[in-house]
Parts: sequence; structure tokens; C-alpha cells
Amino acid sequence: MRRLRYSYHMSLSFERPAWEHSFKLRCFPSTDERQKISGERISICPVHFSSSERDSFGNMCIYGTAKQVHTLFSVDAEGIAETDIHGVIPAESHKAAVFKYETPLTRAGVSIREFHRSLEPRGWTGEFERAVYMMGMLCDDFSYVSGSTGIATTAEEAFTMRRGVCQDYAHVLLALCRLERIPCRYVAGMIPGEGATHAWTEVFDGGTWRGVDPTHNRPCDDTYIKISAGRDAGDCAINQGVFYGGGKQTQSVRVVVREV
Amino acid sequence: MKVTEEELCRHSDSVNEQLARYGVKFGIYKGGQFHEQLFPFDVIPRVIGHEEFAYLERGLKQRVAALNAFLGDIYSDRRIVADGVIPEEFVFSGSGYLVQCDGVSPPGGVYSHISGIDLVQGKNGSWYVLEDNLRIPSGASYPMIARELCMRSIPSAFTGGIVDNRNYPELLRHVMDYVNTGGHSVILTPGRFNAAYFEHSYFAERTGARLVTCEDLTVENDRLYFIDYSGRKEQVGAVYRRISDEYLDPVNFNRESLIGVPHIFDIYRKGNVAIINAPGNGAADDKGIYYFVPRMVKYYLGEEAILQNAPTYLPFYEDDMRYVLENFGRLVIKDVAEAGGYGVVFGDKLSAKEKENFMAMLKAEPRRFIAQEVIDFRDIDIYEGGKRVPRKADLRAFVLTGEEPVVWKSGLTRFSRNPDSFIVNSSQGGGFKDTWVMKEGY
Amino acid sequence: MAILSCANSGRLFWLGRYTERVFTGIRALSGRSGAWAEAESKLCFDGKNPESLYCSLMYAYDNAIVLRDEIGSDTFSYIQMAVYEMNSARKSPAPMLQLQKVNDNIAAFWGMADDAISDENVRGIIKLGKRIERVDLYARGDAGNDEIRREVTRLTYRIEKTGLHYDPETLSALNELAEAEDIDRPEMIRKVESLVDFP
Repeated sequence: MRRLRYSYHMSLSFERPAWEHSFKLRCFPSTDERQKISGERISICPVHFSSSERDSFGNMCIYGTAKQVHTLFSVDAEGIAETDIHGVIPAESHKAAVFKYETPLTRAGVSIREFHRSLEPRGWTGEFERAVYMMGMLCDDFSYVSGSTGIATTAEEAFTMRRGVCQDYAHVLLALCRLERIPCRYVAGMIPGEGATHAWTEVFDGGTWRGVDPTHNRPCDDTYIKISAGRDAGDCAINQGVFYGGGKQTQSVRVVVREV
Repeated sequence: MKVTEEELCRHSDSVNEQLARYGVKFGIYKGGQFHEQLFPFDVIPRVIGHEEFAYLERGLKQRVAALNAFLGDIYSDRRIVADGVIPEEFVFSGSGYLVQCDGVSPPGGVYSHISGIDLVQGKNGSWYVLEDNLRIPSGASYPMIARELCMRSIPSAFTGGIVDNRNYPELLRHVMDYVNTGGHSVILTPGRFNAAYFEHSYFAERTGARLVTCEDLTVENDRLYFIDYSGRKEQVGAVYRRISDEYLDPVNFNRESLIGVPHIFDIYRKGNVAIINAPGNGAADDKGIYYFVPRMVKYYLGEEAILQNAPTYLPFYEDDMRYVLENFGRLVIKDVAEAGGYGVVFGDKLSAKEKENFMAMLKAEPRRFIAQEVIDFRDIDIYEGGKRVPRKADLRAFVLTGEEPVVWKSGLTRFSRNPDSFIVNSSQGGGFKDTWVMKEGY
Repeated sequence: MAILSCANSGRLFWLGRYTERVFTGIRALSGRSGAWAEAESKLCFDGKNPESLYCSLMYAYDNAIVLRDEIGSDTFSYIQMAVYEMNSARKSPAPMLQLQKVNDNIAAFWGMADDAISDENVRGIIKLGKRIERVDLYARGDAGNDEIRREVTRLTYRIEKTGLHYDPETLSALNELAEAEDIDRPEMIRKVESLVDFP
């Protein structure tokens, strides 16, 4: 078990004034079967009304509207996460089926299918071991190159270039697992250090969800703080918004996680 | 009957003049330009006898009850999948399944408030369901206003044996009131340039529900409001929306969408507004799911389906794939993702090369297609150029669900104006007829 | 009182104005004698000239079609029929006869609106649009001072009756202008156009 202090900062700056800005934020870790969140402080600025809910994946969302004219929109969240990967409780298996099927971002095309055919056939003890094996093979053939892809890059596009960032690693592994109908999901979260948010993959195995981090080619341990999970990065968008005005927008995110 | 029909034909022009007067039109885009067109009306009605309609009514209520139960199940416990009645890929990999609706219980427990069930009658008299429309089925306004205007032009033809179909607005109003969570009921239109704008405005006039566009609505403090011209806010508790799921809420669905009401879906999830029909209904009216509807009836209601599907094959199943490939030349193949008469291929109309290509596509993506026997429709006469000529026609029956499903005693009969065509869709140039349901003893 | 959206209040206002513009425009044409000249045809039927009577009627229709639920199908149908008559007037060698029918329908539209629309506010906004447009048209045209005075009186009565927001100072200035022996017509047009504020 670990105690981790996290702080998340996101700011969206607009080239020209924006107003009637409706947003839906999904950037708040919440207590689940393997992490307990305490001392949470959230601030959103500006805001006219806001409300919260859990989406259909159980992710904490805060949504609302900033009616007033603004050129900067910022979100801050901090707190303590106590994590314990051994404290797993069974997930509802009938809810896992939706994670078996490809989505537009995780669709396997020619290059992923070809790569998949080159892998050893089945014969592993469980879904988790199979995913770890595929992750290892993927990492041998894929490089981390920051800025090489964007948020709308599909698994197939990234894999064809053989490079990408954590989102792409996670998407390609999802595409591979889904070719074998292994239920698997995309996870957005944070790991110790300073920088951006991170992304990895979870595999449904023996009635529980278990994390693997293809960017680092390792199973997830108790240094991982989960923010949200979904079928792909689209379900875990940290900020979805519409507004009038605004012009060009620039988003920056800064995450700090330290063990305490 | 015959005398009446001849009388109707004599007044065909005056009825169509009346329809023009009231602007009974539909919109169509041609070469990127919007045009309003009169919806051609044929004065000879489809007549359904009392007994026959009673049979259809029982079957339609049963079918819609099962479809509503299915939607409630797949967005909660998914028992039908767990019990192996429907393969999970037909539920979860279809484009109509909206994962965002998982775990939401709509107000009143109703998913498909207004269901448009498309039927055809075979030459032997038996009825077949061709398609279920559970998203935004349109068309009820046309036979309703046509009845009104025919009665005005030819009062002598209406001697009392026909069930009045002008109660549709009351049925619709009742459904809106039943699921309303508090406040006004409104009809949400994407605007004048929608194909069915006439219907939106006519329903608003006849139900007394306000016709609104997205700009008239706003979400604040987890409630939906209509903003009036003086800036006053009035709460809205039911939205009969005539815009599709993906354009409903740009914060939750299509981010590129320029229309929609931000956060309407968030407050719907909380039970603070009713959306008619419920988002996510596409999971139940997919052409692939259609195949399983008789099984749903059995599974949820413990009854045999009263209405039959057209004989359908799913290439997804090996036996069906074999059958489809062997009998390709006499089947009609439909792409499950397409609607409105598009994506429909008649096996006998393809050249050898096209056939070969199509079969390869079928083998590569079996889940994408269904195949059906071509039903030999019973023709209905239309009055054209001073003569009666037979044409293919279907029937869209409307089932409105509040506490329970109620079948509207009429329907939209659409016909193909081209004598060789089976496609009756209005966007492809078809016309419409009134549908007369007869009272007992007539 | 039924609820009315901001967009619809503006549409009702412009429906009133455009129907008046067509009505008074056709009446002005009917008083002329001599052959139907090129200039009249252009003024009347040119689909590319936004000032033409044809375009004005189309703008009225564009507003009416999205107001079916406010004004009712029966009231709407007169605008629809006016459009059909305008279209046949465009093709006719003696268009005045069809234009007369356009005006018959506009007159019936006003009558029907007055009779069948139960919401006072909805009725009032259409009438207000019509009254404002008429003062504007008369001040621009060759109407006599007495005719203008009468229309200003009718407008004043109408605007005081509706609960709509208007500028009272502008209204009294308008009445002062009307009382003058020689009416300052350009100033009157400016005042009447700034009396109310609709989208």
C-alpha cells in the first residue's frame, strides 16, 4: 500500500474572449476497489453553474457552464490517494462484454492484423498473461516519440508508423486484445513524477480488472492512480467543451505525484 | 366500397389542392440545395377491416412491449445476452448501442414512446414486419391531415364506418404528459430545413406543445429551461426531440455538432427531463437485431410472436451464410447500417462481376448484412392519369407507449410511383395514402 | 399567457411588416394606368431584388412557415395561397388580376390572425409590425399628411395596447412630428424605425 499526493492542473487559454462555455470534465480520481481518495480539493474557474455525476463507466465527471466572458479556463484538483493493487474486488462480468468490441479508435486494420498473425497462438493460462505477452511483443516493435501523434490518431495509424505516445500504446494493445475478444479498457491516470497525465490498459481476467502499462512494458503496481476508464481515449476525454467565440485555444496540463 | 373509391377519385384534384393550401410538404436536398416538395397524395385509401386490424393491433402491442423490455434489459442487467438468446456482438458492436445510456432509467420506464413499425402484406394476405423504427419515426401527420382535408372535400365518402384517426395529437400529448418530469412539454426541431419540418410544426399546433429549436433551451442547475422573449425561464419536463442522438448534446456526443443542447443528456441521466424517444434506441431497431425480435417476444413475454418477420437470414450464422450464397439470386440483401431505402441490393439485379464482389464483401463482413426472401407484395391501386393502376405499398403503423402500448387506428401507407420498384420511401419519390381502419360490423 | 421565444417574437413582427409591405405595394401598383413597364415588373417580380414585392412575400412566408404552431394552420394557409398566386402572377400577361388575389389572401390572413389567434401577445406583435411598416411606407411614399397622421394615431393606439417594450420618448416625438403642418418625413422614418427593438 502506498500514500500518494497528487495535484492536477489544466488550463485552457483562448486567443479571443469566449462565453457560454459548457464543459464536461473527467479529471478527478475517485475512490474505487483499488484506491481511496481523501483530502480532495477541486477548483474550477470561471463557473456559472456546475454539477457532478458518474458516467456509465463509473467515472467522476463535473459538468457545467461558464456564461461570463473569459479568456482563461482553469481546473485544479489535488488530494491523497491510498493505493493497493491487492485489494481487488470482483467486477461485474456482464458489464465487461462491451469492452470486447473494437471502437473507431481501436479498430485493427491491415498492419495490426498482420502483426497479430505473427504472434504465437493461444496457449496461455489467462487473459492477463496473454496481454502481458502481447505487450512485450508490441514494445519490441514500437517507439515512444512525443508529438508524433494527436488525440484523434487511431491505433492502426499509430501502429503503421510504429511510433506514438502512451495513448497510442494503450490503443494498439486494446486493438490486439480485442482481436482475441479479451475484454479490455483504456485507463487515463497519473504516475509519480511531474508531467502530463498517463494512459494504460486494463484487462478483464478471472473476474477482476488488472492493469498493464505498455508504454513502460510492465504490469501496473500501486504507484498508479486511476482517473477514468472507458472503451478508448474518447470515453476518457479529460475535457469536452463547447463555447461561443474563443478562436484558437491552447490547453496545458501539469500533473505532480509524490509519495508521502 | 367501390362507389366510394370512384367518388374519391373524382375529387382527387381538389384534395391535393387542399394539401397544397396547407403546405403539406417535405423537404429534400438536391444537389446541395434545399427544396420543399408537396408529398404526393393518392386519394384511394388502404382499407383494413375491423378483425384484421384487431389482429395487427395485438401483434404490434406485443412487439413494441418486447422491444421496450429489450432496451430496458440491455441498458441494465443484460439478461438476454447472459442467457444466450442474442449473441452479444449483435448488441454491443452495433452502432446504435450507446454505452452512455448504460444504467439510465428513463422517466416512466419507457424507451420507445413512438414506434413506427413498417409492415407489408403479401399476395396471400399475410402481414410481415419489415422494419422497426424506434428512433424518430415520422409520418403520422400526413394521413391525419389528409383525412381532415378529404372529409372537407368529399364529405359523402365518410359515412361513419371509418375509425376517426384525428386523435393522434391526443395520444401524443398523453405520452408526453405521462413521462414529463415537471414543467412544459416541447417539440424540439432541428429547424425548417429538416425533411419533416411540416410534421414538427403541425404536431406542435395540434398538441399545444411548444415548438422549439436548440437555442431556445438551456440547462441550469440540473434543470432544463425554455427562455422566452423577455428572458424569463420556464422549466421543461419532456422533450419530444426530432433530432438524432448524435446531435442532441455536443458536450456528450458529437463535439463537432453546431446544434444541440449542452448538458441535456447529463440531466436526463439524472431523471430530470424526459427525452422522447430515449437516446440509445438504435440498439433495438438495427436491421441485425430485427432478426431476434420474435425471440425477444418469447423471452420477455413468454408468448409466441403474433406478427412474423419477413423470412430473414443472418450470414453471421454458418448455415444462413451457406443458404444466402446458394440462393443469392433471389434474395434481397440489406446493409444493417443504412436506412431510408439505401444499402438495399436485390440479388437478381446484379451483374456477374458485381455479384462476385458483393459475395466477397459478405464473407469478409458477415455481421454487416442481413438477407431476406423477396416478398411478393399485394399491390394497391393508385389513381394516376385518370386510371387506377396497381403499385407496391407498405404500411407504417404507429404505436404510442405511455403506461402501455396503444396502436393508432390508422397508419401511413406509402407507395412507389414507379411500377417496377419495391422502394416506397418518400425521400426516393414515393407518395402516400390514408389508411382507413373500419369499425366493427362495416 | 403562453410562452413565446425571442426568435418567434421577431418573426411575428417581421411577418406583420412584410405582409404590409406587399399589400401596400400592390395597392400602389393597381392605381397606375398604362402598360405594365419593365420597371414595374422588376419592382414586383425580381427574385434577385430584395426590395421586390416577390421577395417581400417570400420573407413573409419564411417567417410564417416557422410560426405554424403560433398562428395555426388555417391562418398560415393564406400566406401559402398568396405565394401560389404570386407565382402565377409572375407568369401571367395580366399580372394585376393575380396580384389582386395575393392581396385578397393577405387581407384574409390579417382577418384570420385577428380572429383565430387566441394569444393576445402573438396577435399584437403581428399588428404592431403592420402598423410600423405602414407609417414607414407612407412617409416614404406619396401619401398625404392626413393619411400619415391617421396611421400614426393607429400605431400609437396599437403600441400602447400591447405590453411590449418600446421607447416612449420616441413615440411622443413621432406624434409631435405628425402634428406639424409640414411633416419632416425623413425624421419620421428614423423615429418609427427606432421605436421597438426586435431581432
